[in-house]
Amino acid sequence: MSLKLTMDGAAFDLDIVNLRPELGVEIDGQESVVIDHGTRDGVRTVVIDGRQFEFRQARDGNRVFLRLGGRNWVIDLVDPRDAALEGGSAADEIRAPMPGAIISLHKEVGATVKHGETVLTIESMKLQTNLVSPRDGIIASLLKSVDETFEKDEVIATLETEASDA
Amino acid sequence: MQSTHAPFFKVLIANRGEIACRVMDTLGEMGIASVAVFHHSEHRARFVLMADESHEITGETPVAAYLDGNQIIEIARATGAQAIHPGYGFLSENADFARAVSEAGLVFIGPEPGSIELMGDKITSREFAEEHGVPVAPSVLTDGDLGTFIERASAIGFPLLIKASAGGGGKGMSIVNSAEELEENARVAASEAERYFGDATIYAERYVERPRHIEVQVVGDGAGNVVHLFERECSVQRRFQKIIEEAPSAGLPEELRERICAAAVRLASAANYRNAGTVEFILAPDGEFYFLEMNTRLQVEHPVSEMITGIDLVRMQVEIASGKPLSVSQADIQVDGHAIECRVCAEIPERDFIPATGKVLVLDPPEAPDIRFENGLVEGHNVTLSFDSMLAKLVVHGGDRSNAIDNTVRALRDTVLLGVETNLDYLARVADHPAFREGALHTGFVVEHADDLAAPEPDATDRNAALLAAALAFREFRTLAFDAPDPYAAMNGWRN
Repeated sequence: MSLKLTMDGAAFDLDIVNLRPELGVEIDGQESVVIDHGTRDGVRTVVIDGRQFEFRQARDGNRVFLRLGGRNWVIDLVDPRDAALEGGSAADEIRAPMPGAIISLHKEVGATVKHGETVLTIESMKLQTNLVSPRDGIIASLLKSVDETFEKDEVIATLETEASDA
Repeated sequence: MQSTHAPFFKVLIANRGEIACRVMDTLGEMGIASVAVFHHSEHRARFVLMADESHEITGETPVAAYLDGNQIIEIARATGAQAIHPGYGFLSENADFARAVSEAGLVFIGPEPGSIELMGDKITSREFAEEHGVPVAPSVLTDGDLGTFIERASAIGFPLLIKASAGGGGKGMSIVNSAEELEENARVAASEAERYFGDATIYAERYVERPRHIEVQVVGDGAGNVVHLFERECSVQRRFQKIIEEAPSAGLPEELRERICAAAVRLASAANYRNAGTVEFILAPDGEFYFLEMNTRLQVEHPVSEMITGIDLVRMQVEIASGKPLSVSQADIQVDGHAIECRVCAEIPERDFIPATGKVLVLDPPEAPDIRFENGLVEGHNVTLSFDSMLAKLVVHGGDRSNAIDNTVRALRDTVLLGVETNLDYLARVADHPAFREGALHTGFVVEHADDLAAPEPDATDRNAALLAAALAFREFRTLAFDAPDPYAAMNGWRN
């Protein structure tokens, strides 16, 4: 049994390796013994390898928000069905993180881009944000021009599909 | 017969969120009934539930509803409210609205419309300040001839800041370091100004490097009395917006503080100002300070001034609007300790502070006598992009600055707000930064210290604990981990 979680863009596999006498879970090859003491007054207590952690949690769909160790954590559950799709189109698109308008285009169709390189700048809520390439590649299309508006999650640019037999 | 000592018996608040709640708190204490106006997208918001009565306003967008002055005045009249408190933003600095409120026979809890107009214009307010001996940064305006502009601008000395006269939001703005750069940048700025604002007028002013933002809280009664509630420091900004403010400012020499506060009072007195207001200055490292603008309304960060002086600014606004003279003299106003405000925003600092959306699922702010958690939130509150990303203000008092910082860092860590990404941890890193503690502040603080302020790589033990804690939140995981019957536990495939 494996559960895939992501945090800050990094993926982690949690494997249940023991149920008795105590729950044993392996993360990145490191096994931990987990004892859940449940929730009281909104605070959940868990003992991991003998060390006690108290935290607050909230779940919204496949996303969990935690207040643990004096900081916030946002962790997503990767649904196996979504994961199956990921190999396909996701890495070929640049989508709008929120509704807004295009301020400037930094690349033209046919231009080569590096992973993390700015492709275009958008403005939303009076804030300008750079949208970057999800991988190395070539710009296949720019679907919006300067001053055009878009909705959240709209595809704004695409990268050329990588040759599968390269 | 009405036998109340309150100046009004009912006031409408033409605002929303935390500031509507803040105003209602004082109205409640004064025995004044409150009327809220809301857009239907917020019908279950805290300010709607908190008001004695709430009325829906409509508009193409939620913001448009709050900018529809006529609709709001109609509701005020229909409900029998005698006055309108505008809060900040929206209609608070709209002279036409202030005038329309008076014409409708109601009281605008704010300044005379003329004061709003005077201070609302960059050029007239600057000239007014200069006339009354309030220092302004040396500057020149284009007069149609770029050649003479460049000559006059060069005479001020470099570096210079080039700005669009009609501008805002950083558009058409640039810093130039030499006469050679000036010509090219002035041309570009004028064309950008024309394109964005339909007005090619630009101006050049002395650019202050490592400037501090210092502002003075003033209150005037329009009858010749003006007092100040000392200064606030708002130098910690991201994207030109304040995120941490404090009062008094960090390590300002007493003589300089007195001069800045006196300049603010001089300006407000010259305008025979009525209402609470804020005079903003840029303070250069050499101790020179320059008038920036005057905000003729309650400011977001007003609670830090309240905390160090013990004065309720909203109460003062209401009393003054009702025609009462100032109830305090300058000598009555003393500084007690230090206060810091952190603006808690729904945003992702790691992604250049882009606004975040979500739902407030768990809210548990710290409670203590020296903490104010100003907010308009309820659990279940939807955080959308319709309004500003500020969710709440955490305002903390301490005996001195160092003590206030310790209390602030602790309060930030003790604040539980889950369901939407926030800058809480980022704010804690800023407040705990050695340069912040030293008071080495300037408006480029967060850029200068960007590397230090980035989220640290989590400790592996904490990270694994968070992953396990998150896993426990999923039923799929709990079922497998705890609900499995014994035989299942011994099944093949599980390592025992």
